[in-house]
Amino acid sequence: MLTTIRAAACAALAALPLLAQPVMAQDKVLKFATPQDFTVVYTFVTAEYNQGYRDYITLINERGGLGGIKIDVLVSDHGNAIQRGMEAFERSTRDGAILVDPLSTPVSRALVTRALQDKVNLITTMSGRSDAADGTVFPYVLPMSPSYWSQVARMVDYIRQEEKDLKGKKLAYVYIDTPFGRESLPLWEALAKKDGFELQTYPYAPPGNEQSAVWTQVRRFRPDWVFIGGGGVGQPVSIKEAIRNGIRVDRIASWVWLSESDMDVVGRAEAKGVLKFAVTEQGADSKVIKDIIAEVVDKGKGAGPKDKVGTSYYNVGVMAAALAAEGARKALEKNPTGPFTGEWLNAGLTSISKFDLGGFLPPITITPEDHQGGGQGKVARWDGVKWVAVTGWGAANQDIIWEMIRKQAAEFKATGK
Amino acid sequence: MDLALFGELIINGALVGLMYALAALGIVLVYRTSGLANLAQGAIAMLGGYLGWITIAWLGLHPILGALVAMVVMFAIGLGIERTTLRPLIGQPVIMIIMVTIGLEILMRGLVPGLLGSGVKRLDLGISDAPLFLGDMLINRTYLVSAGIALIIILATLALFNSRIGIMLRAVSDDQTASWSVGIRVEWAIAFAWGLAAVTGTAAGILWGGSQGVDWTLSLLLIKALAIAILGGLDSIVGVVVAGLIVGVAEAIASGLFDPLVGGGTRDIVACVIILATLLVKPEGLFGREHIERV
Repeated sequence: MLTTIRAAACAALAALPLLAQPVMAQDKVLKFATPQDFTVVYTFVTAEYNQGYRDYITLINERGGLGGIKIDVLVSDHGNAIQRGMEAFERSTRDGAILVDPLSTPVSRALVTRALQDKVNLITTMSGRSDAADGTVFPYVLPMSPSYWSQVARMVDYIRQEEKDLKGKKLAYVYIDTPFGRESLPLWEALAKKDGFELQTYPYAPPGNEQSAVWTQVRRFRPDWVFIGGGGVGQPVSIKEAIRNGIRVDRIASWVWLSESDMDVVGRAEAKGVLKFAVTEQGADSKVIKDIIAEVVDKGKGAGPKDKVGTSYYNVGVMAAALAAEGARKALEKNPTGPFTGEWLNAGLTSISKFDLGGFLPPITITPEDHQGGGQGKVARWDGVKWVAVTGWGAANQDIIWEMIRKQAAEFKATGK
Repeated sequence: MDLALFGELIINGALVGLMYALAALGIVLVYRTSGLANLAQGAIAMLGGYLGWITIAWLGLHPILGALVAMVVMFAIGLGIERTTLRPLIGQPVIMIIMVTIGLEILMRGLVPGLLGSGVKRLDLGISDAPLFLGDMLINRTYLVSAGIALIIILATLALFNSRIGIMLRAVSDDQTASWSVGIRVEWAIAFAWGLAAVTGTAAGILWGGSQGVDWTLSLLLIKALAIAILGGLDSIVGVVVAGLIVGVAEAIASGLFDPLVGGGTRDIVACVIILATLLVKPEGLFGREHIERV
């Protein structure tokens, strides 16, 4: 009897490593984790982003999954705290997640080393380190979206086209005084040198709810254009202060973190003319959004309120989910039987080629070397009701950006920082 | 030195300081009656801002009516906080009561945006964003109107403290046992102070919400309010006004003059430096009463 029990115990112990394997083929479920900040700093974006992410995955699952394999989205809150982000990463990977999307620059920065060691795909959509675009140094960190550098470069290029020539023009960069706001400073300096414009930078204290003293200085600089680089409450405050200080609304530009709700806070009519970088088609008229409404939301399976479907941040969430799902589809093409590990998914993610989700996105190609995917986007203008694209898809100054990416990535490789 | 720049920074800083002072008033009111630091005042201001958004933006009430309704509701919530959370702790060490107010702050900061939505919400108080120039100086119209309202509320509170109710509150502040012995309902007085703190916090939350929108960041008013209450004196309403002006102007000058020299970040330091310097040099604040214990 004792021998039998011992044998059973040994068999159970021997089976433990098998149980700990990430996901086996017979499970028929891929796990994507979205530990994100629902409660502290990134509250302005997380709810809508995560709603879009989950709605798209539900659409895939409702259509039978990827060749019969369903995707499970694990949701948790890290509150933008690095320690909680690390715990969420541990928990998610222990539960079998092979992709983690923390949507937070400080948390994703803290997770880089761990993701590289554990070979778990760390997705840093519209956030995180810009130099993670270099896949040779960051094989498991995948922005798969235009970095802040690419967004700024695209907008400055648009301004250059509008002005014909930027020589002698004055550009002000008003930004939140955090690593996120400071990330693009080196690029601003490089562009000012290249295009010959006069640059002044103005940091404001986070979260940016009071900026009057900063804008007093901006007004005295008499800028031709102002780029506001913040997120959340600081963005509408910046626009309101710009208006109060007599800066033309159609000379205010920003990156992707400007939404319909920000325009509501400013006043929809008052904000008419503001420009932003758009990484997806705007609104709910695209086929993929219509499909989500018909097949997910109208069937009562949506992850949030219907009136948020098609908002700017919702659509960015759809983009992130679509790229992750496309990566999994590619991985299944390469190796249909798995095992479904981080390495397996990484092979798929880095094989995404000219993926545009029916025109909802610019054509995105991810390779083992290029994790940014082209850095393309549109410039969109607020018309008083909605965002309207004023350009086609495009990228600018990628030569300068890749020079900076390679330089910083090399520093990371040498120093680990 | 550009005098117009300097003047603009001082004027707008003073206006902002008066708006901060309104949030600080709640801390002073609670301290004056109960001798306790109310570290939930930031979240109370945030909750007041959300209630203002519900009454004004959601229910469509006129801003003044909506603000009054929100204040009445918050007065009841203030009474409720005292009755359910703080009164049971009478006789417990002060540190426990302070920890409870911190707990309330954290609870409300998480719960309220969770229930009412975490995105920034527009709160239109009908104040124009159009530039208002005084010579070469631009005066922020929103801050000008809001600071005026804040000053009126602070002066009204000061007048209240010179009325019969105020004398009762001051008596409770001076000596709770003696107040009991002459028939003053001390618990009621403390609850009333909490209600009043919630009302002033709501006014601050709505005025700041009209300027920046309503979201959880309204709760960050706590740090500024604490700096002002400590600098002015935790039991001085006049101190709140003076300290509010000092903190607002100091922040504006730090942000406007020093940030360009050092690359930013000085604004956040101002409140912390003021708290530290006051506690080290004059712990009772500029207008606070110095407590001398006889042994």
